[in-house]
Amino acid sequence: SAIISLHRNKLGERGLHLLQRQRGEAVTALELLQREKECGSITTFSSQLDRALKGGLPVGKVTEICGAPGVGKTQLCLQLSVDVQVPLSFGGLEGQVIFMDTEGSFVLQRVGDVAAAVVRHFSLVAEDGEQKDAMQTFDMESILSNIFLVRCHDYVELLAELHLLPDFLRDQPRVRLLVIDSVAFPFRQQLDDLSLRTRLLQGLAQQLVSIATRHNIAVVITNQMTTRLQDSQSHLVPALGEIWGHASTTRILLQWEGSRQVAAIVKSPCCMDTAVQYHITSEGFRDVNQPENSDQPEIPLTERRSL
Amino acid sequence: MFACTASDKATSGSFALGFLKLISATMVPLQEGMCPGLDGDLLRSLLAADIRTVEDLVSSDLEDVSRKCSVSYKALFSIRRVLLAQHTAFPVSGADLYEELLSSTAIISTGNPSLDKLLDSGLYTGEITELSGGPGSGKSQVCFGVAVHVSLQLKQSVIYVDTTGGLTASRLLEMLQSETSDGDEQMEALQRIHVFRLFDAYSLRDCLSALRRGGLLQASGGGSVKAVIVDSVSAVISPLLGGKQNEGMSLMIQAAVALKTMAKDFSVAVLVTNHVTRGGGGGVQPGLGASWSHIPRTRILLERVDRAPSGCSSTLRSATLIKSSRQPCHIKEEFDLQRQSRSVRSSSGKRKRDEADS
Repeated sequence: SAIISLHRNKLGERGLHLLQRQRGEAVTALELLQREKECGSITTFSSQLDRALKGGLPVGKVTEICGAPGVGKTQLCLQLSVDVQVPLSFGGLEGQVIFMDTEGSFVLQRVGDVAAAVVRHFSLVAEDGEQKDAMQTFDMESILSNIFLVRCHDYVELLAELHLLPDFLRDQPRVRLLVIDSVAFPFRQQLDDLSLRTRLLQGLAQQLVSIATRHNIAVVITNQMTTRLQDSQSHLVPALGEIWGHASTTRILLQWEGSRQVAAIVKSPCCMDTAVQYHITSEGFRDVNQPENSDQPEIPLTERRSL
Repeated sequence: MFACTASDKATSGSFALGFLKLISATMVPLQEGMCPGLDGDLLRSLLAADIRTVEDLVSSDLEDVSRKCSVSYKALFSIRRVLLAQHTAFPVSGADLYEELLSSTAIISTGNPSLDKLLDSGLYTGEITELSGGPGSGKSQVCFGVAVHVSLQLKQSVIYVDTTGGLTASRLLEMLQSETSDGDEQMEALQRIHVFRLFDAYSLRDCLSALRRGGLLQASGGGSVKAVIVDSVSAVISPLLGGKQNEGMSLMIQAAVALKTMAKDFSVAVLVTNHVTRGGGGGVQPGLGASWSHIPRTRILLERVDRAPSGCSSTLRSATLIKSSRQPCHIKEEFDLQRQSRSVRSSSGKRKRDEADS
């Protein structure tokens, strides 16, 4: 078209491809379906939650995890950071992870514990030669080396990091997960102007969706809770306002029900609203009716990927 | 009613100025290939002389321009004639307009009987219909339902512009599977849904302008397009509204003009989604402000229905008509997101109990 030929002289061929990709050529829903099947999902190691999510956290979409303090959001993020690295022969994604920490809640020992538990589980489950070979390289050190940790101290740093992320991702094509823990903390602390905050958050949301789709990455963000007064009753709702609710494709709400911990899927394009029970053990995020002895762990449902 | 030939228009510049009031798209930028004779070199020399839009060229003094750009007067004259013919709105009598509308407008059922009742039997081609609602209220699900219905039952192509990343092809397949068990039909229906994934306002505007300028047929691979769905407009426009920025409003209106002319020229039904904001007094209202509120012809507000007894949130949603030129406003209908193609009455309480038990 006219625009393309006008730009062709200025940008050259590489720029032209960039422009075409940015303009988004149409794909049919059938091609999208095939791409989705290839993308896969990240298991949470809680088979009930995986079943509710139809396989696990979807790759290529933005998922939000909200909950009150101490309910297990960071624990789930740490679990996912390890789960995304599971080798292909076990049905995992064998990907790297970028962990953006704004609260300082990333504790190395805890990641070590979760990683050790996962390695133990898969070395017990390894059947054929291929899987045993994969276990040679899948140990705690390699897991920790595949996590890129970024510490952001305020919202400006967070926005700047996200702005620079596409360049980083071009050099590191194996990244399959981006965790931002938490997105609420810097925006609630330092911004008084609410309309500016809303605009920044909406821009941030679009950036995240764009990163997730273009680079085929699962984006997980955690959010805090706030109180809203409605009809003289107070309800606990996710923070950052109602407009932020549109940012994520899937929303998982972690909450306490008495003494039980429940994960509820409150927004999803393809899964029904369900609630499953979970608890955090020394090994990480697990189902509740998981047997305590780790000799016979319940195997999470993963499809064997055909290589 | 007066008739005027193109040569009359071109004789005097002042007459051309008078006609500017009827030019329907005054802010159309000049582009290569818009009319024969407007090639790259001429375009560049016009841009250098600060003539960027059709309006600029039409209202300028041709002799002056031909001198500045060292182009022949005759060439500019013929280009201006073609542009005027392309962009002027000719007066039409009411009766002719009515006949034309009767023959070209079609009503596309949404596949959801409750929504069809609200919309006076469905989405009208040539118009923009807006769905607004809070997060999780079901806007994307309704859009999927419309896309599936148009693609499967009406066997027409659908253009789906996704700006939120919420389009999940497996959900489309699920909806298709509940309508038909024929695998080939499902695949064919999926192939008739063409998806554009864009994440910022400029790409949206460029995409819609390209579609409007004839890219519809190209994008659909030759099939006839009957529905264009944009989910959602507010996700890309609202970051640019407010504050000290000036572009947001302009981009919003450009996108709106592209959608409206696309709807009219190609006889398609346009469905857009919008977020909600809390207005004064605690009530919700659609976002994007008062300027956007004039763009859609029909507006529907979706809300969750809170039936307290069930512990888990239900799949019931309520739709309220908040703007319509055909029906009284504020009528409400309820429907179940899972059983969109059947009315609420047939999905009895038994179904809901089944869900709660499993």
